[in-house]
Amino acid sequence: MKNVTLGRYIPLDSFFHRLDPRSKIIGMFAILIAVFIPSGWIGYAIIGAVILSCIFIAKLQIDFVIKAMKPMLMMMVFLFVINVLVIKTGEPLITIGKFTVYLDAITQTAYIVVRLVLMIMITTLLTATTKPMDMTLGIEDLLMPLEKLKVPTHDIAMMISLALRFIPTLIDEADRILKAQASRGVDFENGKLGEKITAIVSLIVPMFVSCFQRADDLADAMEARGYVVGAKRIRYKTLKFHAGDYVVIIVSNLILVGMILLWVYVK
Amino acid sequence: MSIRFEKVDFEYSPNTPFAHLALKDVDLEIPMGKVTAIIGATGSGKTTLVQHLNALLMPTKGTVEVLDHRIEAGKKYARIKDLRHKVGLVFQFSEYQLFEETVLKDVAFGPKNFGASEEEANEKAKRALTTVGLDEHYYERSPLELSGGQKRRTAIAGILAMGPEILILDEPAAGLDPQGAAQMMSLFRRLNTEKGITVLIVTHNMEHVLEYCDEVVVLDEGQVLMHTDMKTFFENEEYMERANINPPAIVRFKALLRSRGLDVPSDILSIEDLAGFLSRRKKK
Ligand SMILES: Nc1ncnc2c1ncn2[C@@H]1O[C@H](COP(=O)(O)OP(=O)(O)OP(=O)(O)O)[C@@H](O)[C@H]1O
Ligand SMILES: [Mg+2]
Repeated sequence: MKNVTLGRYIPLDSFFHRLDPRSKIIGMFAILIAVFIPSGWIGYAIIGAVILSCIFIAKLQIDFVIKAMKPMLMMMVFLFVINVLVIKTGEPLITIGKFTVYLDAITQTAYIVVRLVLMIMITTLLTATTKPMDMTLGIEDLLMPLEKLKVPTHDIAMMISLALRFIPTLIDEADRILKAQASRGVDFENGKLGEKITAIVSLIVPMFVSCFQRADDLADAMEARGYVVGAKRIRYKTLKFHAGDYVVIIVSNLILVGMILLWVYVK
Repeated sequence: MSIRFEKVDFEYSPNTPFAHLALKDVDLEIPMGKVTAIIGATGSGKTTLVQHLNALLMPTKGTVEVLDHRIEAGKKYARIKDLRHKVGLVFQFSEYQLFEETVLKDVAFGPKNFGASEEEANEKAKRALTTVGLDEHYYERSPLELSGGQKRRTAIAGILAMGPEILILDEPAAGLDPQGAAQMMSLFRRLNTEKGITVLIVTHNMEHVLEYCDEVVVLDEGQVLMHTDMKTFFENEEYMERANINPPAIVRFKALLRSRGLDVPSDILSIEDLAGFLSRRKKK
């Protein structure tokens, strides 16, 4: 449980940690779109190099980023198997019995895997360097124009920040209940199907109970401190762009434009 | 046989930015057949220490010996289930682990996991519920609609029903009313004297340590600061000072009497003894 690294904030001090969340979010989206542009291997190499140097500048350990990809491993393997079975174009590579693996199957899979890896790397860079609270502030600010369309931007931001706020708490809670049930002889790893189901139930039920209880307590605590749904409120912390923020926005968008050019002209 | 820690280190989330060395070079031998208190400031590693005793946590370095089990750092341990059967661990805020529809089913859950038949498990559950003071009116109630104290009792019964040889309680009295807390503590004491169960209690309450425990282990920042018997601990002011605890009322009262020039013997540790001593003094 404790080894979940996807989406976790790493408290360090670096150029990226100090940036305005809004510029990071904008930058991330620009790069994400760039990743989706079929700019070929050169393009991906450029994006990869940029992200890697960003991770380095953010002082993040590379194994931390690699760990974040673990949950995706199954999906990648699955993709590979499907592709090998389905894609029958390009050079035949190897033949095993009646079955032939074609070159396109490999390159297609490689493309998707590289894209996924780049996407995870860039989102990890964002979440690892941005405090959840700052992230919500940033999202709220960026959604502000939608206020005119009667979109409850503040409520959305509040929900996101509460959800983010409770992820570590819930992981801790799950860890504790897991251990408590293990002490009563539940085996979460082995066991027959029936036992597995009981094991899961013994975790889920207490989790639900405590989630509802927490939600109730939190609502009471917020109301006790004067929170009114839909009321007009001002900010304690206001976000401000600095020089670095402009650099990030400009560089990321330049990369995006570059990828588009690469796609249109080189291909 | 006893409980032994040999040069045990434990690190949470090793090799990550969150790495935290919670136990450092712990050498400790806890005798069987006694009630041992584990005390220490918040975050000193008490919970971490006791979770080693039923292999919920494995040492990062060193070995832990419990009964005929020997758990070494870095090795997979195969007989975990047997260990967990014999070492019952009641968690801090154990009331949050209840999940079955009825109290009886929840208490019978442990024994069933360890291979008891339905009837056997129910029999054990009923006995355990009686021990913690919940009668048959509670059997069919949902654990979720009980009061906090009753939930706690149910959770403790859930562990007792497994019939452990070693019973470990992580702050069993926290959040209970004083009377309920005292009842809990005397229950553990009784389990020890009547059934010979070895009991380990993690607590912040020095009055409880004084009244119900035989031995005291003091932890400080993941290390064992001291390990003595309860009497020695409360008879020596410098021990209590070193452990940085607020002494029990009786000890503070004795210190007050002493500061006024009355020479109270240090082995007086109960109200009755003190009252007896004072009345004898008066007669003289
Ligand atoms: N799951 C965890 N991951 C990382 N660090 C942890 C974890 N659990 C505990 N710690 C750290 O290990 C240290 C010891 O924690 P532990 O829970 O054993 O303390 P404790 O003595 O039981 O405290 P308390 O009296 O508050 O229950 C603390 O500094 C805590 O921050
Ligand atoms: Mg604790």
